[in-house]
Amino acid sequence: MLTSSPPGVSRRRFLTSTAMAALLAASGKAFGDVIRGTQPFSPFDYAPPETLPGGRWYFFTPDEARTVEAMVERLIPADDLSMSGKDAGCAEFIDRQLAGSYGSYERLYMQGPFQKGTPEQGDQSEFVPRDRYRRGLAALDAWCHASHSKAFAELPGETRDEILAGIEAGKIELPGFDGKLLFEIVLGNTMEGFFADPIYGGNKDMVSWKMLGFPGARYDYRDYVERHNEKLDLPPLSIAGRPEWKTKG
Amino acid sequence: MRKLALLTLALVGGLTGTAFAGDQSDFVTVERGRYLAVLGDCAACHTAPGGKPFAGGVPIETPFGRLVGANITPDRETGIGGWSLDEFQRAMSEGVAKGGYHLYGAMPYTAYTKVTAADNAALFAYLKTLDPVHNEVETNQLPFPFNIRLSLFGWNLLNFTKGEYVPDPRQNAEWNRGAYIVEGLAHCGTCHTPKNVMGGDKAGEALRGNVVDGWLAPDITGHAHQGIGKWTTDEFVAYMKDGANRYDIASGPMAEVVEKSSSQWTDADLKAVATYLKSLDGSPAAPPAPLAAADPRMVAGRAIYEDRCSGCHVGQGEGITGLFPKLAAAPLVNNADATSLIRVVLAGSRAGATDARPTGPSMPAFAWNLKDEDVANLLTYVRNSWGNAAPPVKAEAVHELRGEMQP
Repeated sequence: MLTSSPPGVSRRRFLTSTAMAALLAASGKAFGDVIRGTQPFSPFDYAPPETLPGGRWYFFTPDEARTVEAMVERLIPADDLSMSGKDAGCAEFIDRQLAGSYGSYERLYMQGPFQKGTPEQGDQSEFVPRDRYRRGLAALDAWCHASHSKAFAELPGETRDEILAGIEAGKIELPGFDGKLLFEIVLGNTMEGFFADPIYGGNKDMVSWKMLGFPGARYDYRDYVERHNEKLDLPPLSIAGRPEWKTKG
Repeated sequence: MRKLALLTLALVGGLTGTAFAGDQSDFVTVERGRYLAVLGDCAACHTAPGGKPFAGGVPIETPFGRLVGANITPDRETGIGGWSLDEFQRAMSEGVAKGGYHLYGAMPYTAYTKVTAADNAALFAYLKTLDPVHNEVETNQLPFPFNIRLSLFGWNLLNFTKGEYVPDPRQNAEWNRGAYIVEGLAHCGTCHTPKNVMGGDKAGEALRGNVVDGWLAPDITGHAHQGIGKWTTDEFVAYMKDGANRYDIASGPMAEVVEKSSSQWTDADLKAVATYLKSLDGSPAAPPAPLAAADPRMVAGRAIYEDRCSGCHVGQGEGITGLFPKLAAAPLVNNADATSLIRVVLAGSRAGATDARPTGPSMPAFAWNLKDEDVANLLTYVRNSWGNAAPPVKAEAVHELRGEMQP
């Protein structure tokens, strides 16, 4: 989470102005007015995507990071289609998301009472994502130490696959934490990291977009809509740009 | 009852008619003066934003330091209430104020000297009708030694030719009217004519473009490549009156000129100005050959253009008439100097708002997303595609302007 607020229109200002507009509209006076030159504009104004620079862990301890990397490496293994989830930066993506508003479920109602609920009622857990990772990863390593005398990250790939499959199926019970809750969130976040824009830490070099042929964060296809039955092979575009922007030679 | 009302109306009408009949010519003069004040955009410097009309206080940053627009309301102590018409005439035509001190060139007397005595009288009559506002303005805020007004004596010798506009008998009345407006009250050359080291006009280069305050006041001669030679008279009138034609939307300082001044000119005057400007010779230098499309800067620039610009300005730089300026064959794009282009890409820009186009659309800023080299390559591509040809933009130029604008 960036601490400095962007110079664009803040959420509060937007809501206030919307409320004002609604009031004006309700009073019936605003109709038919000509709005002149009043669009908010200031030089250099922009609403930047919130990103964090790489090269460090923001939420995970080094041990936690190692465990998460060992998990995402097995959830998306390297094969002839793409690099692994670890190499694509999924752990970095998850770390930065946990450091931001997602980590505390800032936008969700998270007050009690917490009840088990039915499966149809969805996630009823009292734990926010940061708790799920911190407690879940500790429980996972504790279980691995007890049954294999090693940390999860130190185990061979096949063993890790078996453990993850066991947790997913509910056959392995982690000490003191719901293993399924951990598995679900890691799986979901890994996919998000693999397919999200690279500016958020995952999807290194737009690897997943290249794999799918997804052209990325493009704005406009008017020059292409009438080119039927043709393979366009548009290179993917990140919010930050694409390699073709750089001068070659 | 109805009859009585009508009778009363007629009586009142008759009375007022009588009362004002004697002032009829005065009214015409004052009204003409008001229009001349619009033509000269006096308010640009003499009316502070949100301030009383013509009460002064607009700071003008010059390369030599700060000057402030004077109070020209008829207040006796702080305005020009104590001035005679002759004193006003002298200020306009010689740059010498009441009391004999020299005015700085920010008050464009080098242009206003062309204004006829009759027009000055009308302007003065109009200014006399304004509400007097007591507002003391310290106009000279220049640092030493520029704050010594006597230095202007020497400046005038080198840079100033006094004299009312003399019509050119070889040209028609419309051309002469245009020349009178451009060279006189509208003082277009103040921004658009290249300047020498003293800030005076460079001889023989009138209206060929000049950088002011980090904006390029572009070439507005009849040059086909970088001037307005290819604009039709209607396109020129649309730009000046509505703030936009298919090539361009008035932005930056020119947006203000359009809003406060040229949008209120008569169509006849706008056409006269178009006729005159389009007749002016531009730079004799041949336009450069466009860069090859395979040049690495062009290849990189094209990718950036497609990803960041073509959504609005369209694939072939055609723009959308009335909303997004056309970049192909646009004179501003083809000017040798790219300052304004760099500026709007970095910081974005808002167009002027006029009665015809009240919204004032804006272009977003790209400084957060495009590095200096990206902006340079992008503009190099735009300036050398679709029939455009202009010198490539260097990353250093972008870096410098970014630093000035965002210290």
